[in-house]
Amino acid sequence: MQVSLPTRNAVANGADPLISLVGVSKRFPNGTLALDNVDLNIPRGQLLSLIGLSGSGKSTLMRHLNGLHRPTAGKVTVMGVEVSSASNRQLRGVRRNIGFVFQQFGLVGRATCLENVLTGALGRLSGPRYGVWSYPKKLRSEAFDHLERVGLVNQAYQRADTLSGGQMQRVAIARSLMQQPQIMLADEPVASLDPESSAQVLDLLLRVAVEEQMTVIVTLHQVELALGWATRIVGLRDGRVVLDRDATTLKQEDAMEVYQRVDKNLAQPSNIAQPSNIATEPAPLALREK
Amino acid sequence: MSGAHVEPLMQSRVARPVAPKNWRHPTLLAIFIGIVAATTWSWLYLDMTLLTLFGGLSDLGNLLAYMFPPIWDNFPEALRATIETIWMALIGTTLAVTLSIPLAFLAARNTTPHPIVFAVARAVITLTRAIPTLVLAAVFSISLGIGPFPGIIALGLHSIGMIGKLFTEAIENTDYAPREAVLSTGTGKWQTILSTIVPQISPSCIGTALYRLDINLRESAVLGFVGAGGVGFLIQTELRGIDYQRAISAVSVIFVTITLIEIVSTRLRASIIGDHLSMPKKLNARSQARVARDQRLINTAISTRRLTPPWVYERVLRTTAAATFVALLIAALITIEMPLLSAYKYGDDLVRSIGRLFPPNFTFAREEIIVGMLETTAIGFTATLLGLVLAIPFGILSARNIIIRRAVVSAARGILLLIRGLPELIVAVLFVAAMGLGPVPGTLALSLGTATFMAKLIGDALEEVQESPREGVSATGASRVQEFFSAVVPQALPNLVSQTLYMLDVNLRSSTVLGIVGGGGIGFLLLGSIRVLDEATVGAIIITIFVLVYAIELLGSFVRWMVE
Ligand SMILES: Nc1ncnc2c1ncn2[C@@H]1O[C@H](COP(=O)(O)OP(=O)(O)OP(=O)(O)O)[C@@H](O)[C@H]1O
Ligand SMILES: [Mg+2]
Repeated sequence: MQVSLPTRNAVANGADPLISLVGVSKRFPNGTLALDNVDLNIPRGQLLSLIGLSGSGKSTLMRHLNGLHRPTAGKVTVMGVEVSSASNRQLRGVRRNIGFVFQQFGLVGRATCLENVLTGALGRLSGPRYGVWSYPKKLRSEAFDHLERVGLVNQAYQRADTLSGGQMQRVAIARSLMQQPQIMLADEPVASLDPESSAQVLDLLLRVAVEEQMTVIVTLHQVELALGWATRIVGLRDGRVVLDRDATTLKQEDAMEVYQRVDKNLAQPSNIAQPSNIATEPAPLALREK
Repeated sequence: MSGAHVEPLMQSRVARPVAPKNWRHPTLLAIFIGIVAATTWSWLYLDMTLLTLFGGLSDLGNLLAYMFPPIWDNFPEALRATIETIWMALIGTTLAVTLSIPLAFLAARNTTPHPIVFAVARAVITLTRAIPTLVLAAVFSISLGIGPFPGIIALGLHSIGMIGKLFTEAIENTDYAPREAVLSTGTGKWQTILSTIVPQISPSCIGTALYRLDINLRESAVLGFVGAGGVGFLIQTELRGIDYQRAISAVSVIFVTITLIEIVSTRLRASIIGDHLSMPKKLNARSQARVARDQRLINTAISTRRLTPPWVYERVLRTTAAATFVALLIAALITIEMPLLSAYKYGDDLVRSIGRLFPPNFTFAREEIIVGMLETTAIGFTATLLGLVLAIPFGILSARNIIIRRAVVSAARGILLLIRGLPELIVAVLFVAAMGLGPVPGTLALSLGTATFMAKLIGDALEEVQESPREGVSATGASRVQEFFSAVVPQALPNLVSQTLYMLDVNLRSSTVLGIVGGGGIGFLLLGSIRVLDEATVGAIIITIFVLVYAIELLGSFVRWMVE
């Protein structure tokens, strides 16, 4: 399985970035400006970690890369296709090459692990499928291989909702592998896992990504985790890129800036917040009345 | 149970009977006053007195006495007619499920292709629900002739109202995460839906279908009253012909059948929805052996890299169930001689028979329509009141967490199950036979049906109340009765209020067809107009029924929305 795929590398035309965002902004219908004029180029083979506070727009950015969201301004190009204006058909083509791992796994709980992995092959097939038997034998065998790779072959015929969180995420990774993707996006893949399974899942994700020579973008909350493996760190705040550096030269304190500066912002309102303290002062009075 | 984790302080706070915030909202209050006024008016309009009620009971006693000793010589005929009834219910329900599946995907907010399609699909679902099966069957029999087809099609169309609605809700309640994840792999819309939504909804949809099958069995038992096949025709002829000693065989066969099927279907539904198929709650020796066998099968499948799922218990069960269903359906289609191949011709007839209802003529039978609708409304309200009064003691007696003696609970539940075994309209026929034509026997029949349904709901609602307030109240030294009124009732009340409204809604629908068996209300005029082929008046009546039923449904959902 560890065979690298030279043909796929040949497809790449080296100089062009695999992913490029030019002046991308996203305003949701409710008025939230989630991305604010983002420019970003990601070459093939890069291991990039996206960091930032909750609400800074990390998930929104990731969703623009496979067309789950469309920008209100700017251009998103992935593998030569302009995702931001692609037709549904083109979009499906791009998505087939992008593995997307979600924080909430996105497995169908009542289906077996094997079935869940098989859904990763739907993009290659035409027409809807239901149940293991509706997929070609070759694909079933492939799904077995991927489950083996994530160490869950023994659970192949077990229902997905009987697994632990870490196991579920590994099944989700196997499903992405089924796509044979060139790009792997992972949006907080370990946020709902305990530290031990987090390490295991992140390890697995990076190992397969490197073996398959994928381009990887992972959003993470823990800076130390990000620094461990990424080759590039991008920090977002309020939908803007506020940090973009080579991970090897970046110290943890620098990375923490992304969070810290927001903390400073928070510090100011807390001064203004004093009136609310005054408001709570009559409390003893109220007590006395009782 | 959850009370164990609640801190003492919290408990005493929760323990205060909490009424919903907008309980005292003026609009809600006005609606309640309106309902009380309408009920009082209904009671007076029907000339109901306690004496009529007890008189009715003694008449019924006399009727039952006439039935003995039963003569069983028509038993084979009763059996044949009952089997036809079952087949009709099965085909009708299957038809409804088949039509409801695409409709539900078009009507669910999260799968609909277009807002206009959404609105049309919703309208179809609501429309089919508002016209009672018996009315549809009567109308269809004009063009399709006497026999089971109009009945089956009526069952199929009317059931869309409930099945489609519940399927739509099931689709809307699915988790979006798997759908988004699979969509991200580059799939098309229908690929995604089949792979992620269908597995999520299938258990609840099968549950819904089984539940509807139960209801449709009762419905198809009375379709014979309008000549639309099944055992109803036999029952009616025998009772009309004062052949009481023979009537009992048909009545008892359908009664036993309905009761048995209800027991089986309740079990089946519990096991499908409750998921104990895959994870048995109690691991007794048998289920332990089963789990071990499943594990062995799975292990072999994996070590040999079998590419088809192993035959674990759940899969065997599911496949057996599916095969049984298909076999029964085929048997049904063959026995009934469904003209599947010439269905298009019948479709044409159907459309024409609906078309003939237009333009409706409200003026020709204006007086009768008004009187009929007033009587129907009065029956609906009175039956709900009487049913509720009857249901409260039974409901309390059947709640396991209130009544400690298991024997009492089982007895109460047993009686409820037995009464449920006879469809309301058959009870109505019995009451009409005993007491003569008129709205009173119809009202009594409906209230009996209401009572069993409400008693079950009350029992369930009471069993769902939280334990902590009860503990809080009994910790203050309250008696069991005090505890019941101050801690249990307030919790169950909002649910009961909305269920009562639902019952009112159901009863108004049912009372529109009571007249077909001489039980009062608009149904009498409806059947009469169908018999004389006055289709314009039929159209007018159906539209009037639709408006009434739809208004009550809107009112009900408004109150539920405010109360819950
Ligand atoms: N569908 C949506 N509609 C409206 N606003 C949205 C939507 N999705 C995200 N937002 C808003 O956009 C902003 C960025 O959200 P996003 O989910 O991208 O943040 P994030 O960095 O991924 O945060 P977290 O770490 O909590 O996942 C937030 O203010 C959020 O409330
Ligand atoms: Mg996020």
